[in-house]
Amino acid sequence: MEFDACMKHKLVRKSVREFAEAELGPVAHEIDQEARFPLEVVEKMRPLNFFGLQVPKEYGGAGIDSISYAIAIEEISRVSGSLGLCLTVHNSVGISPILRYGTKEQKERFVPRLSGGECIGAFCLTEANAGSDAGGVETHAVFTGGQYVINGTKIFVTNGGVCGLPLIFAITDPQARPGRNASVFIMEKGMPGFSVGEIEDLCGMRANPVSSLFFEDCRVGRENLLGKEGDGLKIGLDALDIGRIGIGAQAVGIAQAAYEASVKYSRERQQFRKPISSFQSIQNMLADMATEIDAARLLVYRASERKDSGRPFGKEASMAKLYASATASRVTGKAVQIHGGYGYSKEYDVERYFRDAKVTEIYEGTSEIQRMVISRAILAEPV
Amino acid sequence: MLKMIVCMKQVPMVSDLPWDPVTGTLTRDAAEGMMNPACKHALEAALMLKERHGGHITAMTMGPPMAEEILREAIALGADRCLMVSDPKMAGADTLATSFTLARAIEIFCPDFDLILCGCHTSDSETAQVGPQLAEELDIPSIAAVEDLDLRGNTLRIKRVSDNFLETLEMDTPGLVTVATGFFMPRYASMAGLQDAFREPGILTVGARDLGLGEDAVGLQGSATRIVDIFSPVAKKENIVLKGAPKKIVEELFERFDDTIGSLIRKDLKAVE
Repeated sequence: MEFDACMKHKLVRKSVREFAEAELGPVAHEIDQEARFPLEVVEKMRPLNFFGLQVPKEYGGAGIDSISYAIAIEEISRVSGSLGLCLTVHNSVGISPILRYGTKEQKERFVPRLSGGECIGAFCLTEANAGSDAGGVETHAVFTGGQYVINGTKIFVTNGGVCGLPLIFAITDPQARPGRNASVFIMEKGMPGFSVGEIEDLCGMRANPVSSLFFEDCRVGRENLLGKEGDGLKIGLDALDIGRIGIGAQAVGIAQAAYEASVKYSRERQQFRKPISSFQSIQNMLADMATEIDAARLLVYRASERKDSGRPFGKEASMAKLYASATASRVTGKAVQIHGGYGYSKEYDVERYFRDAKVTEIYEGTSEIQRMVISRAILAEPV
Repeated sequence: MLKMIVCMKQVPMVSDLPWDPVTGTLTRDAAEGMMNPACKHALEAALMLKERHGGHITAMTMGPPMAEEILREAIALGADRCLMVSDPKMAGADTLATSFTLARAIEIFCPDFDLILCGCHTSDSETAQVGPQLAEELDIPSIAAVEDLDLRGNTLRIKRVSDNFLETLEMDTPGLVTVATGFFMPRYASMAGLQDAFREPGILTVGARDLGLGEDAVGLQGSATRIVDIFSPVAKKENIVLKGAPKKIVEELFERFDDTIGSLIRKDLKAVE
C-alpha cells in the first residue's frame, strides 16, 4: 500500500497547478462576481486535453488514469470551483456514458467533438419534479415516423448555457416498470425545438452557466439513442458513480484553497500583538481542516484506484463524495470564521469558496442519496 | 534533421524552499523539485526550432534519481528522448566537474548533435557557468544569454541583449547556446503529453563507470572549487539617534550615509565639498 504520490501524479499536479494559477487565477474572482463563463481560459484548456481527460487517444483524448483525473479536477477547482465543475461534469457524466454505452458510430461522431472541447457536455436528469427521485422524470420521447419526438424541460443543468451535446433522460415507455421506462438521448445544440433558458442566479458556482434546457417537439433519430431503450436508469447510475469521483475531487480542491488561505491569513493577522495562528482555537481549526482534507483526498483516490483496477467502486465513490463535500462545507465555514469580518467580505476569496462548497453536498446525488447508496451496498454484503 | 540536446537541472521550488534555521542552509531533501526556469525556456527554444525546421530533442540532466521528474516533464512538453546522468559519486560536483561529466556523456551517448541548449543560469546557484564550460569541454562555439534564435542552413542567427544593446550574432553548428528567460515563454504540458511521458517504465540512466570516469574525476573529488561556507543573509535593523547641534548632526549624517543619500539624489557626495 503506497500513500505517497508517485512521480507521475506529482507532475500532473504541478503541471495543472501551474496552468490554473497562471491562466485561471487572475480571473477567478472576477468571473464569480460577474457570473461569466471564462471562454478565454477554456480556449487555452482545449489543446491541453482538459476536455478529454480520460477519453482514449483514438477519440482525441489524453487517456489519463483516474487518480490523475481527480488531481486535475482538484487543482482546477482549487482556483475556480466553477470551472472545476464544468470539467468534471463534461468529462464524467457528459462523456463517459457515450464511451461506455455508445456504438462505434456514436463514439466516432460525438466523442472527438467533446474531447477537443469544441462542444461542452452536460447531463440532464433533474426536472421540476425529479432529482433524487429519477423515477419522477416527465420529459418523454415518443417514437413515431422513424424518429423520437422529445418534449420536456430540464432544470439546473450544469454547463447548460454553453453545452453543445447534452445527454438527456426521457421516458420512452410509460407502461414499463420504473427503472426500465427511461432512455438517454444525445442531443445537439441547434436542433429545432431545443432551446436554452436564462442563466440561473445561484449562490455559488456562479461562473458556470447553469440553466434550464427546453425540448419542444425535438426530433432525433435512433442514432441519437444511447444504449437500448429502457437503459436510461442503468446508464445514469453508472455515470453518476464516475461523476462522484469528480465531485469529490472538486470538493477537495475547494477545501484545499480555503485551508491554504486560512493558514496564510492566520500567520499574517495580528490580534493582541500576536499572529492569530498562535492561538489554540485557531490552531485547532487548522488541524481539523488539514486532517479532514487529507482523509477526503484519500477516499477520492481510493475510489479512483478501484475504478482503474476494474473493481466495483460505486460505494467508495459515494463515500468519497459524501465525505469530501461535507469536508468542503465545514472547511470553508471555518475559513470564513478564521478570516472574521474579512472572510464575510466579497473582497476575499474565502467567501467564494464558502458559497461554492455548499452545492457539492447537493448535486450529483445529495448527501442523503449518498448515504442511501452506501447503506444499500453495506447491507447487501454477506454477513 | 536538427539534432538538439537540452541540458536541464532540477532546482528546489522557490516558493517551497525549506531552510534549516540553525545552519541557514537549504534542506534540499525536503524541498519539492522543479525544472529550472531558464532550462524550461531553453527547452521551449528547442521545441520552437523543431516545429519550424524539424528535428530531434534529447533532454539530459545530471542529478539525483528524483531529477528524473524533469526529464519526464521534458518528454511531456515534446522532447523525443531523455538521458539521465546519475551516480552517488557525482554528488557535490562544482560547475567544472558538472560540465566535464556532461561533456563525456554527450560524447558517448549523443555525439552527432548540432546544437546544445542550456538555461542561462539556475535559480538555486546562479553561476551561469556550466553552459559555457560545456562548450569549452566539447571544443565548440557558444553564445550565452540568448533572447531569440533561428536557423538558416547550418547557421544560427541569435539575438541577445548586452548592456542595453541588442546584438545580432551568427554561429555555425555544432554549437551551444544558453537561453535567457525573456523571449521563449514555456508552453504548458498537455494531459496527453503527461500520460505519454510515463509510458516507458524506465529511462536511460548512466553512471560514472558507463562514462569511463573514475571517482577522482567526478563529484566533489573532481571539483576544482569547494564551498567553504553558505549562509542565509539576515537583514538587520538598527536605530541610531544622532545628538548635538543641528550642524553637527547633519555633518555626521552625511559622514555615515553619504553613499545612500548620494545615490538617492544622484550625486557623488564625496566629490562635493
